[in-house]
Amino acid sequence: MSADRHALAIDIGGTFTDIVLYDSRTGRFAAHKELTTPADPAWGVITGIRRLLSRESVEAAAVGRVVHATTLFTNALIERRGARTGLITTEGFRDTLEIGHERKYELYDLHLPLPQPLVRRARRLEARERLAPDGSVEVALEPDSVLQAADALVSQGVESAAICFLHAYANPSHEQEAASLIAARHPQLMLSLSSEVAPQIREFERSSTTVANAYIKPLAERYLNRLSEDLTALRIKSPLFMMLSNGGLTHVDEAKRVPVQLLESGPAAGALSAAFFGARSGERDLLAFDLGGTTAKLALVQDGEPHVVHRFEAGRERRFTTGSGLPLTISTVELIEIGAGGGSIAAHDALGLLKVGPRSAGSMPGPACYGRGGAHPTVTDANLLLGYLDPETFAGGTMRLDTGAAEATVGALAGEAGLSAARAAEGIHAVVNETMSAAARVHVAEQGHDARDFALLVTGGGGPLHGCELARRLGISRVICPPGAGVASALGLLLAPARVDRVATISRPLAGMDWAALEASFSAMEQDARTVIAATLGATAALSIRRGADLRFAGQGYEVVTDLPAGPYGPDSEDMIRAAFERAYELVFSRRPGVATIEMINIRVSVTGSAAEGALDPEVPETSLGEPRTGARNARFGSEEMDTPVLDRSRLPAGVEVPGPAVIEEAMSTLLVPPGARAVVEASGNIVIHLPLAVTRQGQHQHEVV
Amino acid sequence: MHDAPRAFDSVHLELIWTRLVSIVDEAAAALVRTSFSTIVRESHDFACVLTDARGHSLVQATDGVPSFLCTVPRTIGHFLREFPPETLEEGDVLITNDIWLGTGHLPDITVAKPIFLDGRLAGFAGSVAHAPDIGGRIRTAESREVFEEGLQIPVMKVVRRGVMDDTFLRFFRKNTRMPDQTLGDLQAQFTALDLMERRLRGVLAEHRLASLEELADEIHGRSERATRAAIRAVPDGTYHAEVLTDGLERPIRLKLALRKQGDSIHADYAGTDSQVPRGINVCLAYTLAYTAFAVKAALCPEVPNNEGAFRPITVSAPQGCILNSTPPAAGANRALTGHFIPPMILQALASALPDRVIAGTGSPLWSLNFAGTRPDGTPIANQFFMNGGYGASAGRDGPNVLSWPSNVSAAPVEMIEQGYPFRIRHRRLRRGTGGEGRHRGGTGQEWAFESRSTTPVAVTFMAERTKSEAAAPGLAGGRPGTPGAVLIDGVPVDPKRQHILQPGSVVELRTPGGGGHGDPGERAQERITRDREDGLLGEAQA
Repeated sequence: MSADRHALAIDIGGTFTDIVLYDSRTGRFAAHKELTTPADPAWGVITGIRRLLSRESVEAAAVGRVVHATTLFTNALIERRGARTGLITTEGFRDTLEIGHERKYELYDLHLPLPQPLVRRARRLEARERLAPDGSVEVALEPDSVLQAADALVSQGVESAAICFLHAYANPSHEQEAASLIAARHPQLMLSLSSEVAPQIREFERSSTTVANAYIKPLAERYLNRLSEDLTALRIKSPLFMMLSNGGLTHVDEAKRVPVQLLESGPAAGALSAAFFGARSGERDLLAFDLGGTTAKLALVQDGEPHVVHRFEAGRERRFTTGSGLPLTISTVELIEIGAGGGSIAAHDALGLLKVGPRSAGSMPGPACYGRGGAHPTVTDANLLLGYLDPETFAGGTMRLDTGAAEATVGALAGEAGLSAARAAEGIHAVVNETMSAAARVHVAEQGHDARDFALLVTGGGGPLHGCELARRLGISRVICPPGAGVASALGLLLAPARVDRVATISRPLAGMDWAALEASFSAMEQDARTVIAATLGATAALSIRRGADLRFAGQGYEVVTDLPAGPYGPDSEDMIRAAFERAYELVFSRRPGVATIEMINIRVSVTGSAAEGALDPEVPETSLGEPRTGARNARFGSEEMDTPVLDRSRLPAGVEVPGPAVIEEAMSTLLVPPGARAVVEASGNIVIHLPLAVTRQGQHQHEVV
Repeated sequence: MHDAPRAFDSVHLELIWTRLVSIVDEAAAALVRTSFSTIVRESHDFACVLTDARGHSLVQATDGVPSFLCTVPRTIGHFLREFPPETLEEGDVLITNDIWLGTGHLPDITVAKPIFLDGRLAGFAGSVAHAPDIGGRIRTAESREVFEEGLQIPVMKVVRRGVMDDTFLRFFRKNTRMPDQTLGDLQAQFTALDLMERRLRGVLAEHRLASLEELADEIHGRSERATRAAIRAVPDGTYHAEVLTDGLERPIRLKLALRKQGDSIHADYAGTDSQVPRGINVCLAYTLAYTAFAVKAALCPEVPNNEGAFRPITVSAPQGCILNSTPPAAGANRALTGHFIPPMILQALASALPDRVIAGTGSPLWSLNFAGTRPDGTPIANQFFMNGGYGASAGRDGPNVLSWPSNVSAAPVEMIEQGYPFRIRHRRLRRGTGGEGRHRGGTGQEWAFESRSTTPVAVTFMAERTKSEAAAPGLAGGRPGTPGAVLIDGVPVDPKRQHILQPGSVVELRTPGGGGHGDPGERAQERITRDREDGLLGEAQA
């Protein structure tokens, strides 16, 4: 067996650790789910790997690549389980972290819970130093003040400290000087420097990001050391790669240095996977839609790549409310989360309107039909009563659904508002779809796009069930349902290129730019990024370098992140950059103001490198023999009940076309094909549902709910 | 039990309503992102509203600040009086910034576009936003009449059948310091109106609705019933409150009698001092907006913003008093008076709802405004906002430094230093300034701006609660917060006047703390210890 034949992907989620073993020679992949072991997550990973390798009779030495994503660090921020952390700031600014934006994320709640800073005031100390906005030194760093602060932090039991000085994005020397002074005196104290973690103007966001990094750094260090050792002990010789929030890979030392870049690694893998499966059906512009028990997630894929943004919020006080968390300036695959899922509870509000979610019955007690004591009607209860789910085969037959319990709770809800039970069930299904489509519509519009130009790719237990109706409400005409949605996310890990994103603040008008200095800044960042890629993949990796900048018209307070043409830049680049910005601006805002001065606030580079082992080409699951049609049931579409055939996906060979209405069942999900639509089984393994344009544009077809 | 409506059941109404909300939210997002005005962008000082043909609001984006509650539909009512439906045509846009027909100060420009369906007026898309500059004196309380405060735009058609009025444009450009930005923002408002119009037509077609009235009545009826149900929970009676503001040479007294009877609430401001010849007077629309905001926050925060929700809440104030000013009273800095309204309402309701209200806050919003020249001689000016401490409540200490009742961010120190001739020497919590109590008030903050300009700069302020009689009051035995202060080179100055800052001079702004809640003697020892460790106790307490 050659040493690089197999690849392992490990995705640690809240409940399960997913492990996928991929054989690059045959395209075959095998998956295993192990319960996550939160107290010692490496243990679950190692146990799972051992089981999977033994099950597949693959030797550890034949694994040439291990890629890892985890929600451990995100959860540490949510649950406030990070290290005891300190912060050293410029004199006069210890409270920047606490004062924040001074704003409320909701106007009318007098008792609004606010995100508390990760570092309390007693552990926020000051050093005497001052830089000017251009980075020049106004007050030299006073070493005693730094050491006194560090001593005080250590005496309070601080394990990890952030250093964040004003204007350090323009000149890192004071932070570096402070770090070396502290390292000499307290070598055990871990340090995070704002000029390294988040070198961008705006002191609150930079502090918040640097502090979050410091807060999870000891955890990341311990965990990644442990996992590397255990993998070695298993005799897996290949290096461990870590998935970044932006959908790229990096090596373990970089991950330990800046773990805050890893927060969204799991969702990033999911988005990559969606892009991959979409491309197999020839769709490069996608809305990836995942619907689970409590949360719906949407990600935008454009031209085959997940949309990456440069801001994130961690540890929200209210999960689905923007502004209620800690702002972080990391680059991350953009994901919107909506409080809607199979467990979302339906209820009438004070106005007598039917609302669904964000309150959720979760998995315990779960929907009423789970028969575990759930007393509220949920989306899954409605789906059962509408005939979309089979009580006997739900979740691969691991659970028998209780139709009577669903009828009782949905019936009670209907009684409150003088509705028929059927209308209430159909209403729950429609309202949750409208809630999701409203969020999606606003989100897509904010990016300057029209949802109708995208295909919808559905995953998760509920994605295939709600996808077509969501698509109809958004005016989308193609829905793609990949095979075996459960392992899709871990598979995404194997698709990721190595990637390094770097940012620097320059804050200058475009006109009169010092082009030599600008080119030097870009080159320096690119060089730094190349070094990290080389350490990840080796010096021979094929690189692709992209430049960007955050630009704005003078007087504006927000910048538009703009992709720029390749360098090197000189005086003749000005028109090109201006044109790129104006295009990007018009795409989002559909107009341009009559302001001539353009300012370049931040510059960015993104360097990706791909390893040589070639493209991922997973085989299509084999089709089983036998009659695909396993039965029929009455299903309700809008106000109409229709006799609906039920099909077994594993028996549907490529090329088959299924007219709606139809229900196509898989082990862990159910695909609903509405009347008027047409599902096509592709050779890629995807099922693509074509929704008739008349339905999508007018929304007046017979399955119209309203 | 809920009333079973005739035309819309709970599902149908929810589906249409969700769609309408997403329309105004989408319009709001577009407006925020295209705006040049710092205050629109950072502070969401705007509103997007859809109304029916009568001008009754259906939905308002929930993100905007309270100043605009109820104002856009009222302004559309004034539009309709001057331009009855038969005079309106497709593609028209109406405009005004009249402070008595609008929101109480000139920078807020209200625009509305009639939406036609099959040739019939179906509704309006409306928007109000704070313009970057409207001419007149730089935002100051020193104006004696509205005429000094900038350009007044009468109710007029600014766009006729899709064509912008050229005469208006020429006047407008000539009367603002920043014509490109200000017109850019007006364009952003038009963009929001167009978007709402397009989307609304789509919804009406999809749901096969010929008009909005029936839907509006349903939405209003349900919202009104929800508000009334919440009001009914308050014991009948008249609740009084009285506050003093710093005022000018002497404090200004605001007086409230809040009459709760059955399922309605009336706020009567009789006894409030007269309007003053300075720009701190409040028009009745603003008094109504902040009264409605406070009642809603205390009683029914979850009821959506529309006409019906606010019907049970009424307001009266004697003509010519500072909460119901008459022409030509100036009002550019109306917040300096108007922001006292919500704390006063909560103070009045405290005896009836002790667990739901908060003690006084370190509001109104503070700011430093400056105007000077760059080394090349060109003018430079801006306004930097900051907030005080929040009030304590029965459940918790007041958060330190939080904007309320407005919602305005401070600009980042690094951005200020990048763009303007100042060094910020410090920006920190102001220890010991939260009122003592079982729960203490939130602390204020202190900023020190050192002028690095090579020439003198003029500075004015928005600053209130700097006198002890105007301190943020405590509740239930809690003590008032510490008043704020403005100092230049260490010497306290009158914050209602303009001052000249010499190169190298330092101006300090110390914002007030919030009021405490409950007996300070009952404060838990561990909270005192924690505040001591965190260096938050005042020198006397420590």
